[in-house]
Parts: sequence; structure tokens; C-alpha cells
Amino acid sequence: MTLRLNVPDMAFAAFLVALGAFAFALAGELTVGTAAAMGPGYVPRGLAILIMGYGAVLGVRAAFTGQQAFPEIAWRPLLMIAAAVAAFALLLPAAGLGITSFVVVICAGFAAYDVRLRENAMLGVGLAVFAVVLFVIVLGLPIPIWPW
Amino acid sequence: MDLFANLATGFAVALTPANLGFCFLGALIGTLVGVLPGIAPITTIAILLPFTFSLPPTSSLIMLAGIFYGAQYGGSTTAILVNVPGESSSIVTCLDGHQMAKQGRAGPALAIAAIASFVAGTIATLVIATASAPMTWLALKFNAAEYFSLMVLGLTGAVVLAHGAPEKAVAMVLVGLLLGLVGIDVNTGSPRMTMGLSDLGDGIGFVPIAIGMFGVAELAVTLGRPQDRSLLSFKLRDLWPSWAEIRRCVPAMLRGTALGSILGVLPGGGAALSSFAAYAMEKKVSRNAAQFGRGAIEGVAAPEAANNAGAQTSFIPLLTLGIPGNAIMALMVGAMMIQGIQPGPQVMTAQPQLFWGVIASMWLGNLMLIVLNLPMIGLWVSLLRVPYRAMFPAIVIFCCIGTYSVGNTVFDIWAMLLFGVLGVFFIKVGAEPAPFILGFILGPLMEENFRRAMYLSRGSPMVFVERPISALLLALAVALLVILVLPAVKRKREEVFKE
Repeated sequence: MTLRLNVPDMAFAAFLVALGAFAFALAGELTVGTAAAMGPGYVPRGLAILIMGYGAVLGVRAAFTGQQAFPEIAWRPLLMIAAAVAAFALLLPAAGLGITSFVVVICAGFAAYDVRLRENAMLGVGLAVFAVVLFVIVLGLPIPIWPW
Repeated sequence: MDLFANLATGFAVALTPANLGFCFLGALIGTLVGVLPGIAPITTIAILLPFTFSLPPTSSLIMLAGIFYGAQYGGSTTAILVNVPGESSSIVTCLDGHQMAKQGRAGPALAIAAIASFVAGTIATLVIATASAPMTWLALKFNAAEYFSLMVLGLTGAVVLAHGAPEKAVAMVLVGLLLGLVGIDVNTGSPRMTMGLSDLGDGIGFVPIAIGMFGVAELAVTLGRPQDRSLLSFKLRDLWPSWAEIRRCVPAMLRGTALGSILGVLPGGGAALSSFAAYAMEKKVSRNAAQFGRGAIEGVAAPEAANNAGAQTSFIPLLTLGIPGNAIMALMVGAMMIQGIQPGPQVMTAQPQLFWGVIASMWLGNLMLIVLNLPMIGLWVSLLRVPYRAMFPAIVIFCCIGTYSVGNTVFDIWAMLLFGVLGVFFIKVGAEPAPFILGFILGPLMEENFRRAMYLSRGSPMVFVERPISALLLALAVALLVILVLPAVKRKREEVFKE
């Protein structure tokens, strides 16, 4: 049998093994108990072991199921959207909803390959006003509007 | 008769101006977001979920149900006009619906989709109302062992019906179950796998996960694909199908409704499976079979009826047993729990107003879709003309504010981001997020029932096969798995999902 690596399958298998190991370590300090009187650690540990084992099996299989490269990831949309969400988390407590929304929209706008600067800026202002009016003024969410 | 008294109670609740308003608002917003190409109903529901939390429980569920079928309906509109299926359930609608649109008959296609959905919705509402009482009676006979086995069956169903590779779906269920356990253990009060973070005391937030995986991840992936959106021009006056066509569609609608109603109740079933099955069946039995794929109006009516019926009857296991049969219902469970309602058989007896109110509102919501949305098709069409680049920043903002508003903590935003990135990874390696969310919701419930059953049996796992109902449920789950690995079925399954 020749080694024909299926990269996406292998990546998924590696994820499972890593997650299982991580969970096993985290659940390590919990009492396991017995089958009749299970402690808090019984089921998490069982699942962690199951996931590790299952991941290992998938991993072995992935080595022989045919050459397949990892599918291409569109980095720009992913990174810009991630940046927009991160900006929301970082800015909101300090800058209030108005400014935050504007920044998030500008940032998210650059996720599109066909972004237009003027349009994006107008969208930012529009959506910031809309978000403030809808969520804070109409729906009354307890979010500050301004930094001061 | 009880049924009518119950429905009367329901309509009394659903017809109050406030609830009527929320039902309408839900259906409207659901359609609005559902119409956006590439946004599946589950994404729509996930994004809009947090905005219903501030309402009283009944109104909140009524609005959510409205969002749910609004999103389904919006998805069909996009499928017909743009040939972009929002979700698997509208893939088959694309086949004939878009062909009709190309022939300049988009109007009748849209109208028949709405009519079929309404007919199916009406019948399915009655099915829910009649089936609920016996199901609840059955549920009250359930013990911890039965509940555990039922959940095993439900998760097996989700695996069998997942779109990607079933072995990955199994893994996703396990990961979901594991992450569902994070937080304070209800039996002992000790924090589990929280990494010392107090924010994780109540577990990983359900909203950040849902919005991260179905909202943020979907957006990031959709934006990376080339956008092909050749919108077909169409005129409003051509909206109505001829009487002859409607008559031709009636048997197709009824067959679709019947099939959808049955498939919707099955664990793992729901809208997508129903529409595929109905299309396949109609293609076999229809007198007009040769036209299928070339713009047969029955090819739109049957799957649309089936997916609506299936979507609606998938509420039955949720409302009576408290067990979600698919990922969308899992979101509903999450919403109910945030509202402080533990889904299960006791909802019907303890809160009849809520139970029957939601059921009655389903019919009203379907009626609203047809009365209000058909004239508004012009509006939806113009919405389709707005370029995607102007649309998605709004969705990003909605995702953020929605997630934040649940607990007013930035921690949830970071969690949403993490699960968004994880979601992209899952999509790229071909692992479906739906079984994951189902596992996540069922994790704590399953553990609790497992622990209780094992405690009662003094540690003997035989309890799950010694009790007849439990044994039957487990046998069904095993049968499902066996069927899945049979080579003939495997091939057939791949065909169905490829189509």
C-alpha cells in the first residue's frame, strides 16, 4: 500500500486528537467516580478518550485514502471579518456603539474583493446610525453610544 | 373536542395584537434575511436569535417560529430567481423553479411555492396539534434510560442524514457533546474544563457558537467564492399561475405534504430530506414527469410543500419530547432554555398557553407569508439587486451586537470569533457543523440521563437494553447505522446528496 495522504482528513483527525488530549488534561483533576455513582469527570473523560481514539483511527485512514490537498482558503475575507469582529470586542467597551459600528463596517467592507471606498464609508456611517437607533434607542439595549 | 378547545386557546394567545405583531415581524425579518443569497435558514435564525430574547417567552417563540418559516420562504425566492440555493432544502426548488424563471415564469413559480407552503403549513399545523397529545402521553412513560436511548437515536439520525462524510459527522457529534459539558456540573457543583475562566461557568455560550459557526464562518467562506448572481428580470403582473396549473399542482402538494409531515418527525429529518424525497417521488409518479428539470410547476410545488411540512412537523419531537431532531430545532431548544423553559412533555401541560399559542401562530405565520409576502415580492427582488458587498457588513454588525446583547460581555464576542474560525476549518475539511450543534445542545441532557439511568441500575449498562422502549430505540439506531454502511445504500445516498 502506498502512502497517499488526504490532507483535509488528516487535519481534521489531528484536530480531534489534539482536542481530545486537551480535554483529557483539563478533565484530569475531576473526580471520575464509579459507573453507579459517576463523578463530574466520568463522562468528560470518557468522551475525551473516545474522541482521541476516533481521531487516531481517522488519521490512519487519511494516510491511505487518496491524495488530496487542503482546499484553498480565501484569506482576505476570513482575516478581514475576523479583524472586524475583534475590533468590535476591543473597541466597544471604550468607544461606544457609534464609533465601534463604523470601524467594524469599514473593516468588514474590506473583506470583499470589490470594495469601494466611498460606498464603504457611506455604509459605515449609515449602519452606525442605524445600529444606534435600532438597538440602543428603540430596543433599549444597555450599550453606551459614545465614548464619553 | 379537545383539539378544537386547545386550538381555540392557542388562537386566543396568538391573535393578541402584540403576538400578531411579533409573528408578522418574525416572518418579515426572516424573509428579509433569508432572501439574501447564500444565507441558509439556520444562519438567519442564528443571527436573529438574540433579538428575540428580550421578549416574553411566548412572544419570543412566536417570533422565532416566524423567522424560521420566513427564512425558508426567503430561501425559495432566491433559489428561483438567482439559482443560488440558500440551503440544501431549496436545492431541488432550483431545479425546476429556476428553469421556470428562465422561461419568464418566475411569478407563477414564486406564487406556487408560496401556495404550496401555505397548504402544507395548514395541514402540518393540524398534524402537530393532533400528534402532540399522544406523543406527550408516550413521553411521560419515558425514564432516564429511554431518554438517553432516544437521544442516541436522534444523534444517529443526524449522522446518517448529514451531507458530508458520515464518519466526520460522528466526530462532530462527539465534539459537540464534549463542548456541551463545559461549565459547572449540575450534580456536584464543580466547574469542569473551564480553564479557570469564570465566564465559562455557565458553559460555552450557545449563541456565540451558533452565530460563530453559522453566521461568521458562512460569511467568510461565501465571500471567498466567486459571486455569480445573474438576476432574472421579471414582472409583477405575471405573478399568478393559471387555474389549470394550480389544479395540476394540488395532488403534488398533497403528496409532498404527506411525505414531508412523516419525514419531519424522524430524528435527523426535517426540511432538506423532505424536499429531496418529495421531488424524487413526484418525478416517479407525476403524469408530467418528462417535464421535470425543464420547468415543471409540480417540480416546485411538491418539494416546497414537503419542506414546509417537514420543517413544521420537526417541531413535534421538540415540543413533546424536548429532543431536537435537527440543528435548527437545536437552536430552538437553546432559545427556549435562555427563556427559562425546559423543553419537554411538561411544557404542554404546565404552559398550555405557550404551547398552543406557538402552534396557532405557525398557521397565522404561514398565512401572513402568503398574504403579505407575495405582494412584496417586488421588494425582495430589489433587495436581490443590492450588491453583496453592501450587505454583509450589516450582517457582521448584527452578529456582533446580537451576541453581545445576550450577556453584555465581550467574552462572548471572542468566543464567537473563535467558533467562526473553527467553523471555517470545519467547512474546509468537509465536516458539517449541524451535527456538532445538535451534540452540543444534547450533551448535558444526555449526560444527566445517562448518569441517572446508571445510578438507578447500580452501574449496570444493561438497563438500556432491558427496558423494552429503550431497547427498541437503540435497535433502531443500530439499524440506521447498519443501513448506512451497506454498500448499496451508501452509493444511493451519495447520489441523492450530489443531485
